[in-house]
Formats: sequence, structure tokens, C-alpha cells
Amino acid sequence: MSKLIMFHGRECPHCRRMMPLIEKLEGETAVRFDKREIWHDEKNADLMRSYKPVITAKCGGQLRVPTFINTETNDVICGEVEYDKLKAWALKE
Amino acid sequence: MKKRYWRCFVCNDVHYGIAPPELCPTCKVLHAYVEITAAEARKILGGGADVDLAPADFRQAIERFAAGNEFMVNPDAERVETLLQGIFENEKNHGLKYCPCRLRTKDWDEDLRIICPCNFTIHETYKGVPDGECWCGLFVRRK
Repeated sequence: MSKLIMFHGRECPHCRRMMPLIEKLEGETAVRFDKREIWHDEKNADLMRSYKPVITAKCGGQLRVPTFINTETNDVICGEVEYDKLKAWALKE
Repeated sequence: MKKRYWRCFVCNDVHYGIAPPELCPTCKVLHAYVEITAAEARKILGGGADVDLAPADFRQAIERFAAGNEFMVNPDAERVETLLQGIFENEKNHGLKYCPCRLRTKDWDEDLRIICPCNFTIHETYKGVPDGECWCGLFVRRK
């Protein structure tokens, strides 16, 4: 499993907009995201809930999507982000 | 304070809140509310007319809701369509019209806060932001 997880919702417009950027990033670099849809897969939802303290601290006190988490460092960003910011975050040690 | 259930003894309106309304909004009678149990409230509400709000009806409902406020439904029709799909999928699969851009925590009270429309006016994506919008973007500040 990749250390980077993207939690997303099938009917979330922000998530849909981020998907091409994720694909671009994966095409340009060795970065890989473990993409987990959270409204139609309860296992994925439970996985996101397991990171609740870490995610809510960075996401307005809520579990929001899209959320990107580095499971090794617990580094989190949420919402739509520009490509360069996402890339820098993903490549950060 | 814990919310409780109240019933108007004149017209049977049901109120869920920490205190009864002073004036019944339906029959306009003063001091008409008496406390009831959650089970009674469920029976009263469950026995009434079955009002089915299809996505188009819900769309009209949120338009009317926004009309009296400083925000409006997002003019981006495609985005609104996607969100309405998610809202109705969530109602079908999870019981309530949960926001497609957030996740239930499984704490009942906490999850009531993500039913659409939520109280996004207090969120950092809207409050004090000139072109603010709710987290999912269904509502945007009126220009």
C-alpha cells in the first residue's frame, strides 16, 4: 500500500477536479496515491475515520474530501490544491 | 443543553429543540407546546403525509431557502447536478442528505451538522470571504 492516500467522494466536485492532477503527478513522477472512495465503500470510510484526529486538525474540524494523507508522517492537506503545491507535498520527505 | 421533543397541543406541530417555541408557527397559538418522548415524535411525524422530495423538488427547496439569504445556489449547473446526485445517493445509502464532500463520523449529533444545507455560514470557506462558498460549493455568496 502506498504511504500516500487520497480520500475522495464519487460525487464530490472538488475530488473530480483533483483526479486529473493526481494522474498527471503519477505520470510525471514515481509518486503513487492509494485512492479511496468514502461514500460508496464503508471499508474506505472506516479507514478515513481511523485518521480522524489527524485529519480534523487540518480540515476545519471535519472529515472533508478530498483529503491527502501521508500515513507515515501524518502530514495532511485537504481540499482542492494547485498542482505545484500537491507535487511539493507529495515529494516531501 | 440536550435537545428534546415538543408537540403543539392545538395542531400537533412537532418541535425538536432545547425549549418549546413560544408561538406555534403553524396555528399561531401562544404557549402551546408540551414535551413528548422521541418515540411519540417519531410516531406523529411518521404517520403524516409522505412528502417525497425528488432532486428537482429539493433543488427548488434550496432555491427558496437561499432567496431569503445573502447566498445563492451555485450558478454552475454541472456542479449542482453532481452534488444533488451525491446528496440523494447518501440519503438512499446512509439515511440522510449528507454532504458529498465530507464524511459521516458515525456520531449522531456530529453528523447532523453535515446534512445539506449545513450551517456553512460559520465555516472558514464562507465567513468573511468575499467570494465565499460552502465546502462543497452548492451555495455561493450572492454578488
